[in-house]
Amino acid sequence: MIETRNRAVVANRAGIGLRHPHLPDFLAAPQPAAWLEVHSENYLASGGPRVAALERLRGDYPLSCHGVGLSLGSAGGLDRAHLARLRELYHRLEPALVSEHLAWSIAPDGAFLADLLPLPYTRETLDVVAANINLAQEAFGRRLLIENPSTYLQFSEADWDEADFLAELAHRTGCGLLLDVNNLYVSALNHGADPLAPLDRLPLAAVEEIHIAGHARVATAFGELLIDDHGSAVAGPVWQLLAAVLARTGPKPVLVEWDTHIPALPVLLAEAERADFYLSEVKHAPG
Amino acid sequence: MRLAELQNRLCQSLLAGHSDQEWLALLADPSEQRERRLAVYRNNVRHALLSVLEAAFPVVQQLIGVECFTATALAFVARHPPHQPVLYQYGADLPAFLAAFQPLTELPWLADVARLEWARNAALFAAEQGRLTPGQLATVPSTQLSELRLKLHPSVRLLESSWPIHAIWDSHQPDGGPLEAVDLGVAEAVLVWRLNGTVHQRLLAVGEFALLAEFAANRPLADAVEIVAGRDFAFDLPTVLARCLSEGLLASLHGEDS
Repeated sequence: MIETRNRAVVANRAGIGLRHPHLPDFLAAPQPAAWLEVHSENYLASGGPRVAALERLRGDYPLSCHGVGLSLGSAGGLDRAHLARLRELYHRLEPALVSEHLAWSIAPDGAFLADLLPLPYTRETLDVVAANINLAQEAFGRRLLIENPSTYLQFSEADWDEADFLAELAHRTGCGLLLDVNNLYVSALNHGADPLAPLDRLPLAAVEEIHIAGHARVATAFGELLIDDHGSAVAGPVWQLLAAVLARTGPKPVLVEWDTHIPALPVLLAEAERADFYLSEVKHAPG
Repeated sequence: MRLAELQNRLCQSLLAGHSDQEWLALLADPSEQRERRLAVYRNNVRHALLSVLEAAFPVVQQLIGVECFTATALAFVARHPPHQPVLYQYGADLPAFLAAFQPLTELPWLADVARLEWARNAALFAAEQGRLTPGQLATVPSTQLSELRLKLHPSVRLLESSWPIHAIWDSHQPDGGPLEAVDLGVAEAVLVWRLNGTVHQRLLAVGEFALLAEFAANRPLADAVEIVAGRDFAFDLPTVLARCLSEGLLASLHGEDS
């Protein structure tokens, strides 16, 4: 039996995404990470060394669970079996934060595409996503944080832009916002927009967590596309955008994500240290 | 276009790699940019699923080369995308796909090597359970031994192949021998299991394989031994059982978590 403990609170500090190559470092010695976030789907196995490692580490570090497969944007509704798996996982791990994406990855025929695919921000989509969020929040018995996606294309048919759509979702479902600052930057540049513009309309009062990560720049016939590959250090403009976001939200838990070309743990911890510096420069939330 | 149709058609287009002009017309982006923007998602999907298969089948990849593996895996992805968002379980159907995949029929042993790699993957993620110890076995009254049904640890996998799959696999490990030294005429029985968080694998003698297969079939000990002795005249139960216990192959009699 796993003992049930109170959900450890994630402080307004920088945490890191826990990735498999760093498990040995964490198991060998305590690491200077204020909190950890894992991809929920990586820990759904019945057993094995990874699950065992997380069971141990959750006792030493506050934990956040970041789902990458619930597919809140699926027109066909949620996969009930997956919802039940996640419910059991969260019941067992008691994470301080639980998040998902404003995106879809499961097609109507059930195929799982392993990517966060884009949604048209229409009334139909709002109804679909709000119903799915309500169902998930009910199943998990807790507030779900929704992350703004990185996008590479836009649909003509739209009743809202992304910021207003997220505000509408937060209003209708009571969900929180996981504001991914890198995604904000990547999407804005990919659509020729100002990354600061959405900050006036996003539901910033609902922000409970912030993500930062590196992105790649790819040349195309029509200029550069930014790709959200989490494969490098956080870019300079994203740090600046983080400072602008924190100035409005006040200090929040900030997570550094690094998923491809994963560096040695000290490199990742140094990024977190830098995020902590930005947090220390911020006064508490205005008002 | 309704959301369900939009998602269905994007899924088809991403997996099959074909262009769907009606779908692209839904975009606000300039028409000459649409294919390239959609390609970011196509690359993401392919890369994500390809990475899962590469991680699960590293020896198959070495055997046929990176380019051939990529082409084969993408053909598999297009035909058999995952149907649940739990990717450590994705790839179970790849061995059967390889067995029937026309371009690879010249490598008849490839599918069985893939079966072996999938068994290793399954062993890594199998449920934990306590192991049977010599001490626990000694508590069973001798009168009940013949009817005892021993169970395999959940991580144990048994494989039989007409090809030397263990030798082929081993030749692709850092300290393995050369592939040229492998005699392709040898059939093998292989045991895969997890102990202390690490996946192990070794060859099984005829009697060992038969005994473990009888345990897996829930055969009482006395019946199992009788069947095995009929197939392997050199079979020695105490030796085989002692090795099973020391390697942690058998589940605790009480079935409790470890």
